[in-house]
Amino acid sequence: MYLNYLHWVEKSIYIYKKLIPPCGVYVLDVKNKWDVIIVGAGPAGSAAGYMLAKKGFNVLILERGRQPGYKELFGGRVYAEPLREIYGNDLEKAPIHRWVKREKLSFVDGSKLVSIEYQSDTSTSFTTYLPQLARWMADKAGEAGALLVEEVTVDRIIYKDGKVIGVGSGSDEVYADLVIDAEGVNRLLLEGLGLVVKLQPEQVAVGAKETIKLGEDKINERFGLNKEEGMAWLLMGGITDYIPGGAFIYTNKDSVSIGLVLHLGHAIKEVKDHISQMVEKLRLHPQLRNLWIDGDIMEYGGHLTPEAGPAMMPKKLALNGFLITGDAGGLLLNVGYTIRGVDFAAYTGYLAAKAAIEAHDKGGFTEQNLKAYESMLKNSFVYKDLTRLTGMQDLYNDPGMFKALPKLAVGTAANVFEIDLETPGVWNSFNKARRNAGLGLLSLAWKGYRLMKKM
Amino acid sequence: MSQDQGKTEVKPMKIDDILQRDVWDVDLEPHITVDSSKCEKCPTKPCLYLCPAGCYILAGEKVVFSYEGCVECGTCRVICPMNAITWHYPKSGRGIMYRFT
Repeated sequence: MYLNYLHWVEKSIYIYKKLIPPCGVYVLDVKNKWDVIIVGAGPAGSAAGYMLAKKGFNVLILERGRQPGYKELFGGRVYAEPLREIYGNDLEKAPIHRWVKREKLSFVDGSKLVSIEYQSDTSTSFTTYLPQLARWMADKAGEAGALLVEEVTVDRIIYKDGKVIGVGSGSDEVYADLVIDAEGVNRLLLEGLGLVVKLQPEQVAVGAKETIKLGEDKINERFGLNKEEGMAWLLMGGITDYIPGGAFIYTNKDSVSIGLVLHLGHAIKEVKDHISQMVEKLRLHPQLRNLWIDGDIMEYGGHLTPEAGPAMMPKKLALNGFLITGDAGGLLLNVGYTIRGVDFAAYTGYLAAKAAIEAHDKGGFTEQNLKAYESMLKNSFVYKDLTRLTGMQDLYNDPGMFKALPKLAVGTAANVFEIDLETPGVWNSFNKARRNAGLGLLSLAWKGYRLMKKM
Repeated sequence: MSQDQGKTEVKPMKIDDILQRDVWDVDLEPHITVDSSKCEKCPTKPCLYLCPAGCYILAGEKVVFSYEGCVECGTCRVICPMNAITWHYPKSGRGIMYRFT
């Protein structure tokens, strides 16, 4: 009922008015056969839509939210370079909050923490609200000529005679020569096609996040930042009750995003507290709370994030008339200190569009022609980065990594800095902390070696 | 009494109060259904802890579920040891509306 013609005409006029595209063709062009249908106006879908519409394809983007971004949540930081490759200098007009020039990494044990901080006058990543960035990216696709239709929850991919021919939502169907799946981490459509099985706890992590309104000046003062400079802060250890994963703090323009990510494979066995209360513990941590205690929580949310890299990728990313991008493909990188979701998603959408353009020039969107997408991915930073994830999985399964190492770091610092009468030597402090953390010297050397190698 | 002046009282907020900050347009039909016959037999009930929106709560021995405050993350579906959860996205623009995430 939501895809009936009247609704479409109404919607198209609305979109036409809203986006002020170069000409009025959409209003006349209401139809149910398209060159390309994209499912999901997230970073992957909108990047693909932008590239394809710019090339002159008739592109329809279907989004289940009332607006692009309404269903999206991330940690808080986007790496800029992949987006710059797509949008060029236009990226400067994106809703960028702050350029990250301070990176902080902390080990937490109880009320104590040890930090490493990196400060720089240059930056390759920025903070933002994902709903704002998604809105901007969808508008870029719209300006290029794509038609965005919101409030349509696609519930199936239509597969017939060995190829994908369209998508369905309730009793309505729309058809296209190519469908690009950018549905996100809960890949119900791919399950429906039989390309993947239901997500397993070991393949994903759950993130929960609070955005705290604080004011621009307070953020600058308390985090030691200049105007438009941001901080990205990751914490591990006691802050997640030693469950593999970590906590994050990002500074936005006038708010702070704080939250944590728990590896579900471990969390189902080890969680002791409701996840919202774990976020509250982060907010009220004695060493952190003064940074934002007078701020107001503006929003709270949760989202899944792919963790398994190649291990959760569908067997194929290209079928006849079909391509898979972004989180749905498992194409997100999380190596603990660096999490790349939005830029990876956007870049895979960009590559999918490139592959589609090539395939079209070769004569059509056959699996054979679209396979170029898989090789483009394999030759790009995306796949090279992701293959390292296989190693990270082993680290996650080593309970020592998220408990013993933070305890060792904090314990050593406590022994060195908290002095009774005698001034302790560093080596003795370290060994005492090591024994308290239950780590043998050899096993520690082995862990350290593996950590450096895998990361 | 006087030494307490100027101290900020810091207490964790309950999930129900935190969720007051969010905006929904709740679907009239539930987008999640729980098979209670399977759910009752579950020994571990990880949903009680890991649903970020606290949609699953314990009432006596039984898990009680409400879909209205769901943030559509999909965690419950992935972790449910009994496979008791049928999970879809809400229809046509309904559900959570994130603005600052």
